[in-house]
Amino acid sequence: MPIKKQKQVNLKTFTGLSLGLLGFLLPLFFQFDGLSYAGHIALGIFLMAAVFWMFETIPIYSTSMLVIFLQITLLSQQGLLYSETQLPEAAPVHQSGNEWLVPAGAIQDGKVLVIQDARKYKPLEVNVLETGEMTRVESADISTDTRLVADTRHKLVGYTPPGFSVFFGTLANPIIILFLGGFMLAGASVKYNLDKNLTNVLLKPFGQKPMFIILGLMIVTATLSAFMSNTATTAMMMTVAIPIAVQVSKEDKFRIILALSIPIAANIGGMATPIGTPPNAIVIANLAQQGINIAFGSWVSLMLPLTVLLLFIAWTTMRILYPPTLESFKLSLKGSFDKSLKAKILYALFGLTVLLWFTEAQHGIPSSMVAFLPIVGLTVTSVMKQEDIRSLPWEVLWLVAGGIALGISMENTGLAMWLVSSISWDAFPQLLLLLVFGFVALMLSNFLSNTVTATLLIPLAVSMGTSGIAGEGFSLVITSLVIGSACNMAMLLPISTPPNAIAMSTGFIKTPDMVKVGIIIGLVGIVAVLVLSQLYWPLIMN
Amino acid sequence: MSDIYIVCVEDEPQVLDVVIRDLAKLEDVFPIEVAHSADEARELIKEIKEEGNKIGLAICDHIMPGDKGVDLMIEMQKDPFTEHTRKVLLTGQAGLEETIEAVNKAKLNRYIAKPWKPQQIVEVAVDELTTYVIEQEKELLQYMAVLDQERLQEAIRSKGYV
Repeated sequence: MPIKKQKQVNLKTFTGLSLGLLGFLLPLFFQFDGLSYAGHIALGIFLMAAVFWMFETIPIYSTSMLVIFLQITLLSQQGLLYSETQLPEAAPVHQSGNEWLVPAGAIQDGKVLVIQDARKYKPLEVNVLETGEMTRVESADISTDTRLVADTRHKLVGYTPPGFSVFFGTLANPIIILFLGGFMLAGASVKYNLDKNLTNVLLKPFGQKPMFIILGLMIVTATLSAFMSNTATTAMMMTVAIPIAVQVSKEDKFRIILALSIPIAANIGGMATPIGTPPNAIVIANLAQQGINIAFGSWVSLMLPLTVLLLFIAWTTMRILYPPTLESFKLSLKGSFDKSLKAKILYALFGLTVLLWFTEAQHGIPSSMVAFLPIVGLTVTSVMKQEDIRSLPWEVLWLVAGGIALGISMENTGLAMWLVSSISWDAFPQLLLLLVFGFVALMLSNFLSNTVTATLLIPLAVSMGTSGIAGEGFSLVITSLVIGSACNMAMLLPISTPPNAIAMSTGFIKTPDMVKVGIIIGLVGIVAVLVLSQLYWPLIMN
Repeated sequence: MSDIYIVCVEDEPQVLDVVIRDLAKLEDVFPIEVAHSADEARELIKEIKEEGNKIGLAICDHIMPGDKGVDLMIEMQKDPFTEHTRKVLLTGQAGLEETIEAVNKAKLNRYIAKPWKPQQIVEVAVDELTTYVIEQEKELLQYMAVLDQERLQEAIRSKGYV
């Protein structure tokens, strides 16, 4: 059996590898109309990354690293393709009056490109009188000093290569620092058992009735996962749930609810704050690049109603599908808060950071600046030591950074624009457009990493917004939020999210149980998001 | 993906049968191999190593024809391939001195005295294998169904990833 498994893995790796390379090379052999030279390169990187992310040919964070590597080598000002490049010059030949002869290659859609320096040009509209190898044009703005771009298909046309530091810089993007701050707080909480002890305190008021205990578990899980990783939260809550499950007989469906409620709540809870889960980072970073900043508190007020609603729907659904037979049982909640000085420093910093995050409107300090408070505070006081810092999930930061970097290239090479411009979107009603985006995100994200799905889709939404291609009433923020939410609502299968995989591994549930509840959450969730996007989100944003 | 083996070394076939029967519920995840003497065990370890698999747990009798169980365990402790293997001595006749040697030189993890209760050997095996996978393995989910779930979840929590 192990040998067969090995073969399947090899086949999958091989398929992924060859498709990825094919995707990378494809744009080199095909010329796509309306896509710049740099856009072709970006398309190659995009296709390869998409394939590698989908097949997990290499770990998803290393795909991100590869994306950044290809960008600095191929798309940066100092890279292989652009370091020596200058725009090819052509001098117009004077005929008579305002009439000039220019090479045919210098004209594109009735425009010539006037060179300003080695890498910059300005389009100039001309009157094309007669086409030929040398085209006769008429313009009052051309003189004998004018230099035109000889070839409008040149790689510098339609693309100004940024310095390589722009791509590296994604790793220090404010959203990455915000996440790092969140990681530090979460890491320290695990180290000093703050998460466990909070759970014990928060669960007490929920009594002994099975469905209320479940409600309690879900609320606590969602709250913690809004600040900690969904995975770590799920694993921690499972240590609470397993002793309960052991008390219940194997046939009792209560075990199913117990094992399902926690990953569902963890997935949903991640939506509530910017640092809850990485897809949020992709949304925020892409919007920030368009000059739209979403404060920590505004994000929460946008997303909290959705979170609460989805939790309630999930709870009700499970209650109907798997009615518990137990009357009541005891929950043994052990443990007490660590009262050492270091633990107290953690509690204080945690409280202060969250307070500052929520009060950005009052003091105006951006949340990523606030996030540096726990980073510095926890290390200066040795609450987090070298080995603790090493154990932070750095690969998640690389994953997100690669996603942000890919978004930059999709935007500035015109690739994203080219991808969305092939369809006439203004024929679509706005609501249908949101539905399509939401549904595609939900479907993809059930099979791919949530972060990857957001990375692939959000730049498309952004370019629809910036280009105005989507017609009246298109809101960039709302569309991005719909995609982001849909990514987080995907919890159909054990492979959909790490929390699902954890729940599945306990053996308390079978895949059909997860699918049943997952479908309901996904579909109801999409509808709920659309309703919020029309009625509630516009209110908050204005 | 390599497999993690349980190796049982015991010269009496009846005892070996009982051990295997007791551990049957682990066999889906942790294949069990048996040896009747220290020499056979060495062969077996070599084979498992050559196939690219690992040994998570060795349950070993002490009194056997040829080399004694404690000697085999000391050898395993010195070999990097079996250094991290959890080692359990299952015996009725090991003297104090040999037991001390096993603890000090073979880093013996458990001692089960004969006769034992079926539940006891399963508990020991589950506990030791849980320790082994937490220390040695990255992917813990696949062991959740048969090992100590609480400890595995706790390990995932502190690692922060699955």
